[in-house]
Amino acid sequence: MEESDSEKKMEKENLGPRADPPIGEPEGSLGWALPNTALKKKVLLMGKSGSGKTSMRSIIFANYIARDTRRLGATILDRLHSLQINSSLSTYSLVDSVGNTRTFDVEHSHVRFLGNLVLNLWDCGGQDTFMENYFTSQRDNIFRNVEVLIYVFDVESRELEKDMHYYQSCLEAILQNSPDAKIFCLVHKMDLVQEDQRDLIFKEREEDLRRLSRPLECSCFRTSIWDETLYKAWSSIVYQLIPNVQQLEMNLRNFAEIIEADEVLLFERATFLVISHYQCKEQRDAHRFEKISNIIKQFKLSCSKLAASFQSMEVRNSNFAAFIDIFTSNTYVMVVMSDPSIPSAATLINIRNARKHFEKLERVDGPKQCLLMR
Amino acid sequence: MADLDSDSRQLLIPEADHEVHPGPMNIQFESSDLRSNRPFHVEPTNIVGASHVAQRVSDRAAAMSKRIHYYSRLAAPADQALVAPDHVVPAPEERYVYSPLGSASKLQSCPEGSGRNSSLVTIFMIWNTMMGTSILSIPWGIKQAGFTTGVCIILLMGLLTLYCCYRVVRSRATIPSVDTAAWEFPDVCRHYFGAFGQWSSLLFSLVSLVGAMVVYWVLMSNFLFNTGKFMFNFIHHINDTDAVLRTNDSNPVVCPSAGSGRPDNGSAVLSADAAGLPQFEAWWDKSRTVPFYLVGLLLPLLSFRSPSFFARFNVLGTVSVVYLTFLVTLKAARSGFHLEFHWFEPTEFFVPEIRARFPQLTGVLTLAFFIHNCVITLLKSNKNQEHNVRDLSIAYLLVTLTYLYIGVLVFAAFPSPPLSKDCIEQNFLDNFPSSDVLSFVARIFLLFQMVTVYPLLGYLARVQLLGHVFGDPYPSVFHVLVLNLVIVGAGVSMACLYPNIGGIIRFSGAACGLAFVFVYPSLIHILSLRHEDRLTWPTLAFHVLLIVLGLANLLAQFFM
Repeated sequence: MEESDSEKKMEKENLGPRADPPIGEPEGSLGWALPNTALKKKVLLMGKSGSGKTSMRSIIFANYIARDTRRLGATILDRLHSLQINSSLSTYSLVDSVGNTRTFDVEHSHVRFLGNLVLNLWDCGGQDTFMENYFTSQRDNIFRNVEVLIYVFDVESRELEKDMHYYQSCLEAILQNSPDAKIFCLVHKMDLVQEDQRDLIFKEREEDLRRLSRPLECSCFRTSIWDETLYKAWSSIVYQLIPNVQQLEMNLRNFAEIIEADEVLLFERATFLVISHYQCKEQRDAHRFEKISNIIKQFKLSCSKLAASFQSMEVRNSNFAAFIDIFTSNTYVMVVMSDPSIPSAATLINIRNARKHFEKLERVDGPKQCLLMR
Repeated sequence: MADLDSDSRQLLIPEADHEVHPGPMNIQFESSDLRSNRPFHVEPTNIVGASHVAQRVSDRAAAMSKRIHYYSRLAAPADQALVAPDHVVPAPEERYVYSPLGSASKLQSCPEGSGRNSSLVTIFMIWNTMMGTSILSIPWGIKQAGFTTGVCIILLMGLLTLYCCYRVVRSRATIPSVDTAAWEFPDVCRHYFGAFGQWSSLLFSLVSLVGAMVVYWVLMSNFLFNTGKFMFNFIHHINDTDAVLRTNDSNPVVCPSAGSGRPDNGSAVLSADAAGLPQFEAWWDKSRTVPFYLVGLLLPLLSFRSPSFFARFNVLGTVSVVYLTFLVTLKAARSGFHLEFHWFEPTEFFVPEIRARFPQLTGVLTLAFFIHNCVITLLKSNKNQEHNVRDLSIAYLLVTLTYLYIGVLVFAAFPSPPLSKDCIEQNFLDNFPSSDVLSFVARIFLLFQMVTVYPLLGYLARVQLLGHVFGDPYPSVFHVLVLNLVIVGAGVSMACLYPNIGGIIRFSGAACGLAFVFVYPSLIHILSLRHEDRLTWPTLAFHVLLIVLGLANLLAQFFM
């Protein structure tokens, strides 16, 4: 029975690589620079089930946490006979022996960020056989066009061997299908480890992973959702995905000096991860990036409840004025002025003019027309 | 904080659609929601005043607070997914109220059931509050009731008032519909009995307060008089041997009320410059002049707007009681025990064990064990609220033991062969002459303590009376002055005309005890049980008996 199922699936596969269909705009975006038929590059977020990927995605992308539909689906599916997967709609329908159809969600997100990257979440090496089968049969499709692989390890996992085994099979698939992909490994849930042992344990894991990943190069981070390490890790990942980041920083610096700002930050639009920043004097609070990111994401959640989308914000008191505004198609900017005598209008005009300049920078890479396509 | 109920509606939308622009959703939102969900709304109580040395929150803590705040918006309330685990959240002792402006203040107000005092501190506070000047009248009360009867009555009254106190503590829990976190017992009475309850509880509370203040005035005049007399005699080296009955030793005990009233013609052994004695006695008289001198000292103190200055001297009360215990022990050790048991007939030196005048003791004890109007507030600060009843019982036990100790020792050690037990004065310190050094020290302690507590009592009376009648505890200097004059006048007149503290204590005790100890707690209990249909005949009978006892207590004061 299972043979015929996978044959059925293979048949569908052999229709050739399917372009991912046009997906709705993420909330808050106004006009994409890209034509919709361009191939989307993927960011794969993979890891064992229960390693914290869903929470991580919710936190970084300010989504509400999805109910655990996949697990629900799997137990039912084990008993059913045939299955159709329709990944374009990110649902799968079950047709049982009698012909009734039921539809479930696959944990398959279409969160967009960094221009045209799409985040896909996959459970790798979970218990249920359904996802394993699906995974194996869809492997090539999953691992094609991958820009970034982020693999999440649970530091408390008792099955290190198995984890490494699954990791290696993912790497093999990457090597076959997207050899240019960047690999990042996150050793997650570090808050469960005692503070004095964290460095040691992380170093061990890092060495193992580096060794296992050869000939591919991987960067390792230790993360926990309960401190700033998660944000920093994702910021580093995003930072490495920007091709012309040095040039961007130079331009940002010029911009800041011209408008006499204390600090200028460039955020990625969907996640408010800091892409680059310039500060002209020492700032006291090292955690300010994450705090601003959390504040704005929370505000965005509130706005979405009212069917509104966040566009810009101005915060002003006798000591400073801060402006957060849409900048380019993929970024937000935050400008902090410590001279409150400069009228808002002046700064806003400056930002508007700078916008055009930075948009050009984004398009500098020619026909691909995206900041981050390579 | 986030309105998580409407958030959960979002969760029903399938994940894939979430990236689609939602479109006008059918979310009901009130404008009040907007106000309550403002992300930077900070309660005014959380802003530390500019004059305070504000503790700033560390950046790390501020970041963590923001993180937790943000994560709580991502998940439904039922979801445990993003709830901060214990090892990440600071320990309860390290929690502060954090204002996004960066400052932090420790939580001042204890919400229901989270006080910070250990059981020991709570027990001490209750003991300290209950220990009043009625301790001075306990030996007299035992004498009025007879020794055996007295001891039994002390124990029984302790138990009875403890049970009624327990009822008071439980009375708030009988009101499920309203938030009673800030309520005291008078508020509960108002809830059950309406305006009548409010005004009657106010009246009885005032009775106890004014009664206490009158007693204080009498005692203060007494102690001031004796102190002045001691110092005058000491300076002029007068050996004061009035024509009062006294024991013949170096530390005499006197019987002031025996003999022919007050010794106007005191046959004092005069020394050389004793010429001033008659004049001194004319100007320094216990009931004619000294009470008036006190007016000059205390009336200004009563007009203070806030008594917080006086609250610092709370410790004097404890010191006085401890010193009294020490004094009594010492005197008893020197004098030895003089007890004879005659059951029904009085003898020349002894009183019967059972006397008809025992209601006088119950009246005194009602005030001695009275704490019912403020026990709820005292127990609020207990750290382990489930130990409230246990701690209250222990405190009552300690109070009973203290009263028993002093009462029994003074009574038993009273030198009966030369003096009759009937000589025990309503204020047992009166049984020591003014030349006695130990009691002089005791009187000084008590005088200081009373001078500091008197304005506190005046403040409480003012807040309650003027607060309820005029709505403002300090409506104008005129109002406050009139009230103070009335109270002071009552004290002065009592000190001049009827300086019997035992009598004043028993009347005011029985009166306010009727309301707060016997009637209200029992009535409230009966009513709440009837609401819940759990009233049984034994319970009803028992509590009605309590009410009858309270009434009998009050009536007996007039007849016995």
